[in-house]
Amino acid sequence: MIEVKDLQKTYTGKVPVHALKGVSFDIPSGQFVALMGPSGSGKSTLLHQLALLDTPTSGGILLDGVDILSLSQHAATDFRLRHMGYVFQEYALIPELNAIENAFLPLMLLGIHRKEYIRIAGDLMDKVGLSDRLHHLISELSGGEQQRVAIARALVNKSKILFADEPCANLDTENKGIVLRLLRKLCNELGQTILMVTHEPEQREFADRVLWLRDGRLEKEEYISKDTQEEALHNGYRTDISSDPDYLKDD
Amino acid sequence: MRNMWNDFQSSLFLFYKYVTRGNKVTLTLTILMATLAFIQINIVHGILSGAVNLIYSQTKSNYVGNIVIQPGKDQWGNKEQYITQVERLKRKINAIPGIIGCSARYSTGAIIEYDPDKTGKDIRSISWPVKSINPQDEMRISELHNCMLAGQYLDESDRDQVIMGREVSGGYGASLEVQSLKGVNIGDEVTVFYHNGVVRKYTVKGIYATVFPLADMTIFVTQKEMESVLGLRDRASEIIIRTDEAYPEAYYIEDLRKAGVELQDIRPWQDFIGLVLGIVQSFDIIKKIILFIGLIVAGVTIFIVIFIATISRRKQIGIMKAIGMKESIIVTSYILLALFYATIGISLGMAIIEFILKPYFIAHPLVFPMGKVSLLIVRSEFLTSIASMIAVSIVAGLIPSWQVSRENIIKAIWG
Repeated sequence: MIEVKDLQKTYTGKVPVHALKGVSFDIPSGQFVALMGPSGSGKSTLLHQLALLDTPTSGGILLDGVDILSLSQHAATDFRLRHMGYVFQEYALIPELNAIENAFLPLMLLGIHRKEYIRIAGDLMDKVGLSDRLHHLISELSGGEQQRVAIARALVNKSKILFADEPCANLDTENKGIVLRLLRKLCNELGQTILMVTHEPEQREFADRVLWLRDGRLEKEEYISKDTQEEALHNGYRTDISSDPDYLKDD
Repeated sequence: MRNMWNDFQSSLFLFYKYVTRGNKVTLTLTILMATLAFIQINIVHGILSGAVNLIYSQTKSNYVGNIVIQPGKDQWGNKEQYITQVERLKRKINAIPGIIGCSARYSTGAIIEYDPDKTGKDIRSISWPVKSINPQDEMRISELHNCMLAGQYLDESDRDQVIMGREVSGGYGASLEVQSLKGVNIGDEVTVFYHNGVVRKYTVKGIYATVFPLADMTIFVTQKEMESVLGLRDRASEIIIRTDEAYPEAYYIEDLRKAGVELQDIRPWQDFIGLVLGIVQSFDIIKKIILFIGLIVAGVTIFIVIFIATISRRKQIGIMKAIGMKESIIVTSYILLALFYATIGISLGMAIIEFILKPYFIAHPLVFPMGKVSLLIVRSEFLTSIASMIAVSIVAGLIPSWQVSRENIIKAIWG
């Protein structure tokens, strides 16, 4: 359970930028939430605060009752390692490591025995459909495959919450479908809490709930029906889904 | 403790992957630079140490031995002119374990004249000390008998013959022309005006060259001849002692004192190389400069490589931190990488020095004014260069990786 209370973020400078102007919401465990909004609405800023990659100006974030903003830098690093997974927009893998090495890296950092972390990462790589690419270097994988490795890495520590920052931004339609279906399945089968930033309205059909942001504020919420999700899962990623044109406009 | 070990293992894992899967050209060139820097430091040190060692060795072999006994002071505190009861003293000295031999010498000031065409029109004259030796004793403490450039070494019975260093003769490749007889040859006659008024004519029996200028500026007559000139017996101006060098000179000096050599002034060879000490000190300064430059070259090279590696991996480092990797793990992995560059560079440098450069310099020594110099790797200097290279590489790895790893995660990822 994530509880976000009156979260504010102001970037100081010559002209202060109020990226988040008091955002509050709760996310129950096992929910797949899409964060949407036009560019500059504060989606990524919000994700960074929730994932402890940045420090908000004020407000509070509780994860399963733990006030994660009170953690020291060192403790925050450890908290990210133990309880959070993060999928970046641009694959963000370590090129010197092969696929499974990238995937098991968090487990190695946790001090888990080698045999065990290879087994766990291997299982996850199988789940993301890459059991035949374990020892391939990152440069030998397609964009979609790289993103699936990133997802495996984000989940390998049995994270309480998976943050995904526009995970399909650089993927072709086919790979977008693969990644979104994978996230949906992870939510369905593993009860994984997922918070995904996207600017493509079509992708919201894979989520349970959509939080629409505008000008640093939560403007509205939308719940996606099970039928729509099933249809999205069944049909894969489609580009002909109607979108809300108002929210696609840049500020 | 377990966490620290696990963190170190993670750093080791990353470092291993950087090396095995990183850019091989960068790896090779960086190691090459570290190797060259290490060789440069040690080759210059080796040559200068070799030169210093040669000077020391020449000083001991051809100039003052290991220990010099000089006259002590009389009851009024004035320095005596001669050591007395020399034969008794020599027996005491030779009985001490570790003493190879000793030789008593007289030394007196004199003017030496050389009239090459015996017409009195071109008399060449110099003021130079004349020393006496017992040829047999001298053979045990110096290499003089092996350094004859022309003619022969003195015999004990020689009375009207001298041997002289090539710097006195002024020929045979002498380098100090100003204070010489400008071309004395074997068989030529020289006249010696001793300070006590005695004048003797001698035939030049031999010209020697130890290649050590200080030793090549002396004229020797036999002990018997000098005692006849000075009208003395069983005395000496100095006694030169050679030891087996198993211990420092101070050890043998202590033994000499215990053996009853109490009244005389006993000094180690180091006290007689004032002229040379300036050279040695200059060499030490050069060594320090070379060490400093070599370390800067190696350090800056490694720094640049690590700096570029970390800057080009800024985003990657940000991502590693985002997934929960501690800064210390990242920094340690780059320090290990820098240490790897330095260690391989040092190892290759050591192998090149040991198996290529040392044999080369033994086969083709450098010709210095004081003799032939080959590489002398002094253990303490060698270890200092290794330790310094390692220390510099740690700093060169630490600073750039620490700077980049401390950067805000978002900034590192998004630039």
